[in-house]
Amino acid sequence: MKMISAVLYREYLIRTTSLTWAFYDLFMPLTYMLLFGIGLDRAFASGVQSGGRIVGYNSFFLAGVLAMASFGIAINTAYGFFVDRENGMLSEFLTYPMTRGEFLIGKILFNSILALVQALITVGAGALLLGIPLRWDRAGFLLPGVVFGTAGWFFFLTTFALRIRRNDMFNTFINIAYFLLMFGSSLFYPLEGLPLWLRVFSSLNPLTWHADVLRYLTIGLGSLDTILAESAAFMLFTLLAFLAAVRTLQRGIVK
Amino acid sequence: MSPTDAAIEVENLVKIYQVKSARPVRALDGLSFSVKRGEIFGLLGENGAGKTTLLRILTTLLRPTSGRATLMGLDVEQSPYDVRKKICAVLQENAVEVFLSVEDNFATYARFHLIPRHEIGAAADRVIQQFGLGEFRKQKVIDLSGGLKRRVQVAKVFMVDKPVVFLDEATTGMDPINKRGTLEAIREQARQGRTILLTTHMLEEAEDLCDTIAIIDRGSVVAVGDPDRIKSLGSAIVEIHVTYESLDEGAFAELSRLPLLKLKRRHSTLDLSVNSKLISPFDVIQKVGQIGEVVSFEVNSGSLEDAFIELLGKSKARTGGAA
Repeated sequence: MKMISAVLYREYLIRTTSLTWAFYDLFMPLTYMLLFGIGLDRAFASGVQSGGRIVGYNSFFLAGVLAMASFGIAINTAYGFFVDRENGMLSEFLTYPMTRGEFLIGKILFNSILALVQALITVGAGALLLGIPLRWDRAGFLLPGVVFGTAGWFFFLTTFALRIRRNDMFNTFINIAYFLLMFGSSLFYPLEGLPLWLRVFSSLNPLTWHADVLRYLTIGLGSLDTILAESAAFMLFTLLAFLAAVRTLQRGIVK
Repeated sequence: MSPTDAAIEVENLVKIYQVKSARPVRALDGLSFSVKRGEIFGLLGENGAGKTTLLRILTTLLRPTSGRATLMGLDVEQSPYDVRKKICAVLQENAVEVFLSVEDNFATYARFHLIPRHEIGAAADRVIQQFGLGEFRKQKVIDLSGGLKRRVQVAKVFMVDKPVVFLDEATTGMDPINKRGTLEAIREQARQGRTILLTTHMLEEAEDLCDTIAIIDRGSVVAVGDPDRIKSLGSAIVEIHVTYESLDEGAFAELSRLPLLKLKRRHSTLDLSVNSKLISPFDVIQKVGQIGEVVSFEVNSGSLEDAFIELLGKSKARTGGAA
């Protein structure tokens, strides 16, 4: 536990060295929702149809913003491996008296806390400023929804951050992944009206599973059966991503 | 050596790197040696000899392909976590938190090495003073020079109390004053009973500091022993230091025709290294005496550097590599 708290302390110190990060960490999703969300809310004034219901675009988009925030935090954390590697810190960390698991858990804990604070601000502002009707009875489940989401994307991206040696290649990979995963998902629009090929692709996208679960927890959209299946699928994705990350670490570095 | 005497034991260690679209690289090739507890052990070798690979295995960063290494009786491959509890390391690459201040670097390092919080401030103050970092303590490391960054990195390991310390070219990039301070700090660590394994390209530093030296070449030990023993292995080398009243170009040119390992001139002083297998030192001494009026004259056995060069030359000749 002391090692995990040391990782948390280190992440906190680094995070507080830049006001840009503080803004990004706390208000970026909210800003996204206020600018992008409001714009599209006005464009689709009659709302969007999903799961047999018509909901306002802001309401629909809230879960997308939360999922995107988790994904964004995971990208920043994965990119941190490059910074640590360039500064020589990654190797030095791995000689410290801690297990690889403690190292990863410390990092994911810190970022989960960030994601939760972001979610709290975004959901709170969504309800207060945009009048999004929230399912407060499910609010407690948002915590595991956000934490699992952040962890899943962190482990997924860690594997690539550790395997790809070049910073520019990782940036390219992230740009492609970001584009494909975000626009081939239910983040911005319901899947029902999409052409078959895009609907199939989006249905197999873990970002869709993550966003759908968060949407069910925030505004109650979706059927319980589908959400349970998507939750299970996302947990499996997280587990596989974790195993892949550990395997990558163990290729050259002892557990 | 009994198991209780050895801080580090390396047995027949092999590390092969699989390189894409190239032949595999055999970085360690059956390396074996042991390090006694409380000694300063120097690992010398050319670039690519396998020093850093060995350190990365001993610090649990890499798995060996075969062979075995133990640290304080613990197998580095089987018990990496327990091994890490007993070590601290300065690795070759600069490892500093560049976005944090100097004192925050020490604070985070201390927390990772389980120094109680109430002792962190005092430990940081001690090393900040010891390494002359007082005026930089609030500065972010990214704003420091390369030498100062290295100083921060090296200073960190002197905050903690671990039985085994690894220093991979720790003094590289330091100015002479800080290098001297660092060497003294290393000696102090050894006096307190810690085992230190260091690599360096500065042979004088190794000779001055180390109880035992191992010279490695292409992943194998070429020679191991105390510095005097290593020097004696290069026994064919004799060094001559001579100062003349005056020395003209013609006389210098005459000497430069001899098959000497080294001939260096500073004004009217000459430094010569003679490989007695190539030319008799007595012939050289006679020649030296003939070319001018000698003011002072000194003959020594070869330096560690001479032995290093000779031993590596022999090793390459045996294995067919380039000298």
